[in-house]
Amino acid sequence: MRMGRRLGLLLLAFGAGWGSPALAYDRAQIATQACSGAAGLSEAAATLTAGASSATPEDAAWAARLTGALLDKTIRCGAGASTIESPSGSVDAATLAKAAPAEGPAPVLSLKNRPLVETARAAATLFAGATAGDRATALRALERRAASLPPELFETAAAREPDAGLKEQILGVGQSALLNSPDVAKRIAAIERIAAQPSRRAETQIAALKSDPAYAKQPAFAAAVDAGLASIDRWLRVSSVANTLYNGLSFASILFMAAVGLAIIFGLMGVINLAQGEFIMLGAYVTYAVQETLRAVAPGLLDWYLILAIPVVFLVVAAVGVALEATLVRRLYTRPLMTLLATWAVSLLIVNLVRVGVGTQNLQFVTPSWLAGGKLLVGDFIVTWNRLFAIVFAGVTLVATWAVLKRTPLGLNIRAVTQNRAMAGCIGVPTRRVDMMAFGLGSGLAGLAGLALCPIYNVNPQMGSNFVIDSFMVVVLGGVGTLAGTVVAALGVGQINVLIEPLYGAVAAKVIVLLMIVGFLQWRPEGLYAVKGRRK
Amino acid sequence: MIALKRSLLARAADDRMVVAVALALAATAAVVVVGGLSGYRVNTIGQLACFALLALALDLIWGYAGILSLGHGLFFAIGGYVVGMHLLERSVAETGITPDIVQFMGWKALPGWWGPLESFPVALVAAMGVSFAVAFVFGWASFRSRVSGVYFAIITQALVYVAMLLMFRNDTGFGGNNGMTGFQVAFGVPIQDPAVTKGLALASVLVLLAALVGCRLLMIGRFGRLLVATRDDEVRLRSLGYETLRLKLKVWCLSAVLAALAGLLYVPQVGIINPRVLSPELSIEIAVWCAIGGRGRLAGAIIGAVLVNAVKFALSASLPELWPFVLAALVIVVALIFPNGLLDLGKWKPTLLSRARALEPRDATP
Amino acid sequence: MTVAVLVEGLTVEFGRFRALNDLSLAIDYGEVRGVVGPNGAGKTTLLDVISGVSRAKAGRVLFDETMELTRASEAEIARSGVRRKFQKPSVFEALTVRDNVAIGLGAKPGADGPEKVARMLETVGLTSEADRLAGELAHGQKQWLEIAMVVVAEPKVLMLDEPVAGLTDEETERTAALVKALRSPGRAIIVVEHDMDFVERISDRVTVLHEGRTLFEGSMARARADAAVVDVYLGR
Repeated sequence: MRMGRRLGLLLLAFGAGWGSPALAYDRAQIATQACSGAAGLSEAAATLTAGASSATPEDAAWAARLTGALLDKTIRCGAGASTIESPSGSVDAATLAKAAPAEGPAPVLSLKNRPLVETARAAATLFAGATAGDRATALRALERRAASLPPELFETAAAREPDAGLKEQILGVGQSALLNSPDVAKRIAAIERIAAQPSRRAETQIAALKSDPAYAKQPAFAAAVDAGLASIDRWLRVSSVANTLYNGLSFASILFMAAVGLAIIFGLMGVINLAQGEFIMLGAYVTYAVQETLRAVAPGLLDWYLILAIPVVFLVVAAVGVALEATLVRRLYTRPLMTLLATWAVSLLIVNLVRVGVGTQNLQFVTPSWLAGGKLLVGDFIVTWNRLFAIVFAGVTLVATWAVLKRTPLGLNIRAVTQNRAMAGCIGVPTRRVDMMAFGLGSGLAGLAGLALCPIYNVNPQMGSNFVIDSFMVVVLGGVGTLAGTVVAALGVGQINVLIEPLYGAVAAKVIVLLMIVGFLQWRPEGLYAVKGRRK
Repeated sequence: MIALKRSLLARAADDRMVVAVALALAATAAVVVVGGLSGYRVNTIGQLACFALLALALDLIWGYAGILSLGHGLFFAIGGYVVGMHLLERSVAETGITPDIVQFMGWKALPGWWGPLESFPVALVAAMGVSFAVAFVFGWASFRSRVSGVYFAIITQALVYVAMLLMFRNDTGFGGNNGMTGFQVAFGVPIQDPAVTKGLALASVLVLLAALVGCRLLMIGRFGRLLVATRDDEVRLRSLGYETLRLKLKVWCLSAVLAALAGLLYVPQVGIINPRVLSPELSIEIAVWCAIGGRGRLAGAIIGAVLVNAVKFALSASLPELWPFVLAALVIVVALIFPNGLLDLGKWKPTLLSRARALEPRDATP
Repeated sequence: MTVAVLVEGLTVEFGRFRALNDLSLAIDYGEVRGVVGPNGAGKTTLLDVISGVSRAKAGRVLFDETMELTRASEAEIARSGVRRKFQKPSVFEALTVRDNVAIGLGAKPGADGPEKVARMLETVGLTSEADRLAGELAHGQKQWLEIAMVVVAEPKVLMLDEPVAGLTDEETERTAALVKALRSPGRAIIVVEHDMDFVERISDRVTVLHEGRTLFEGSMARARADAAVVDVYLGR
């Protein structure tokens, strides 16, 4: 019986709030209720929430104060009146007039009552909040329970909201509240509007309506729910595919930058640099050094460290590459297999130097303000700026590499030596110098890959091995001598990895990529875009 | 005539080296039998013999046929995992103690299909058979499409990497990250018994000796000469009517089986097998042993493996951080100064350097 | 007389470059055929296709009027009796001279193998070098060694790609004598060479290739007089 009465009261309170403007709270009664045990407290909270949209500004401010005090436990429930304590003195809980502090404890907030009081405070703050920030925080608190709140709350709040952006948001949340409107037409309209913004949350919200009594009784409502769910499901599937492709694209971008250098060097000199993964790692560490230098010297530029690091990273890692070529690789020119071992030794050296010199922990990178977040495109597909940076960066690198190979004397020399070293040497191309420059170019590109992955992946001394074998696969698959082959192979390996991963796991993805490459080599042994020629 | 003498001398030097290493192995076996060495020493000898056998296996394909595998840890691991399953089966059968792997894999007992491996002959045949089959399929696919040289090396590297990722997963069913350990008995004797240590070390040394002699005989025969011909100029050899695919496949599978044997002998001696033997680094290291000892001479591979690992054992105890630097330095020095490995050290005189360069083992023609 | 090698409508492409363009020619047993032409005319490519190293895009090559070579593997072609010396001297440098020739004998050398090898070494004058490593030989000796490797199996079709490139006059002389001695009714010899005088001395007929097609076929003397040949080959 008591339960039923309380429920009735609650409904009454909700009903009273609707459509009756500026109904003043009975402050004294509410304050007393709040102090009269768990049942009274939940009734008080319900009354406050229900009346929030019709309360006067003063009442709203009072409601916010009272609920805040309940949550902060700065209220004292006396025998007669209750008071709220604050650094500036005690005030009466109902009138907010100065009063002597009451004797008594703050009411205990049960697990059930706490969210009710929090909702009441958020509802009051949505109207009485001093700043847009306060009101936005309140809106976020209400968002989770929007479906159980009176729609007027949001309509009225939106109408009074001076901030245009926040107004939009309030209306959006209001749609969820409308789902519970007694007017079926309004509910159906709300379903349609929610379905138009597909997300996992929207799906759960609408799916919950399937257990609503109206679903069984009213065909139009049921149809709207089903159509809404179908539409959301469709868009979620689209956005999940988009998310996967997007992640694959960013992975492929890094792979491309790591592999293009390998492919150029392999085409030119027939050697594979096993230290390429460590050059990626060096690129990331140089980026970190630039970041730390800026932090110390020019904190104002810290936000742009990723851009400022580009030339530094390229030049430093290219210099390391040139040094490696001049001291080691060129002396092993007739023994490409020994080059594999020698460059592996170099990679061992680099990893351990970094480990001893810098440490083994992951480096902490600042996320520049312009890379934080992203844009929600459709469903839950967010174009995150950090991955977009890697993709755009790889695109720019591709164009730049293409330009170097096709439009500069160095590129002409590289192409000439790749095709016929002896002939190029005969007509005066300084083949050894070309080797060195190309090695530098390839190494610098690996360094840039390291820069591009800083905002996405972990950076530590071992990171190189995560990329290097995939980069090899890109070179094997793409063949040598053409940029197009590397691009297509990087996209292929990157996308296959990311596509298979959610289905069968990362390991299966790697296994399948390897099997595909071995299978692929059965009919195209020279890779995708090999330049065939006769035996020299 | 002088030149003639010189090349005969070079051959004779190789022969002498093989004989010397074989005698040293026989002497080691005798010392292991007679005793006087601590269990730790005997165990170390056994482990070194296994690594030497692994290096010997790689030298067959790299030194003679010019095919560099950077994934030979795969075959070593096949031998190791098969003998690991065998040892677990035996341990359960004889002691009834439930091994740890049953617990952390969430099993009730060892998988039923491991049962036959309780018999050692079955395990031996299985290790050799599986490594042969894997080598045959992968080798056939690669050699048929004429994948060679650097391409082949990096594809084998990817192969062992993928195998490592697979074995790290618990779902693969071989103990995942933890691998297999806690062997109680080997060949009916408690595994801590010094006789087991001794027996395993002796077996390892003798298998190595047999493999050295057998492979040397094979390599100085017609098969070995054809392998060298494949390395020097494969197209030329094909155009003389030889199916180089078959030649390469034969030596590749032989090498894989030898590597599996090495793994099979190694695991009981260290008492554990886990996916770390599949790390690409270990597989590259095998090639490094061969390069350091001098490839294409069998004896060099053994000397290299023993030398490098002896230094590694010594340093791991005292200065583990130093080891990667020492190893890297060794590789670079060998690559730059001793193209034929440390065996060149003896004859490293400026007058001979140019000749050594001229005749240094070349990589296979692409 | 049977045709040893019959080439019909052969086309070979490397990417967009057409190395052989609908080429047809016939070489008889007992004949020494010189194949000449400027660089890039397709001479070596022709040998590549006959020996199975390169694949044709169209056309066919018949050996002995029965065996289709464009579908056979290099080893099958070699075993059937079609052998070829490469342009760049290709010997097994880490093996002895004797081993090199013995390998040339094929997978089943037979009981008289060592004797054949010894005779062959005598023929090319390498007996005294038999136990040296092939990698230590001089350029000319390598050329002869490779000829010995392909000839020792007594091929029915012998292809020599630039056998005298880089040789001294005296060595060229000896090579010419060797080729003449190898000539037999049961064998067709195809020689690709830039040295016109050498080709004239050893060959019965010459085929002049130009841009992957036959420009001229006939005796060397007439080739020298042919206006078209003079035009493209002598570069006027």
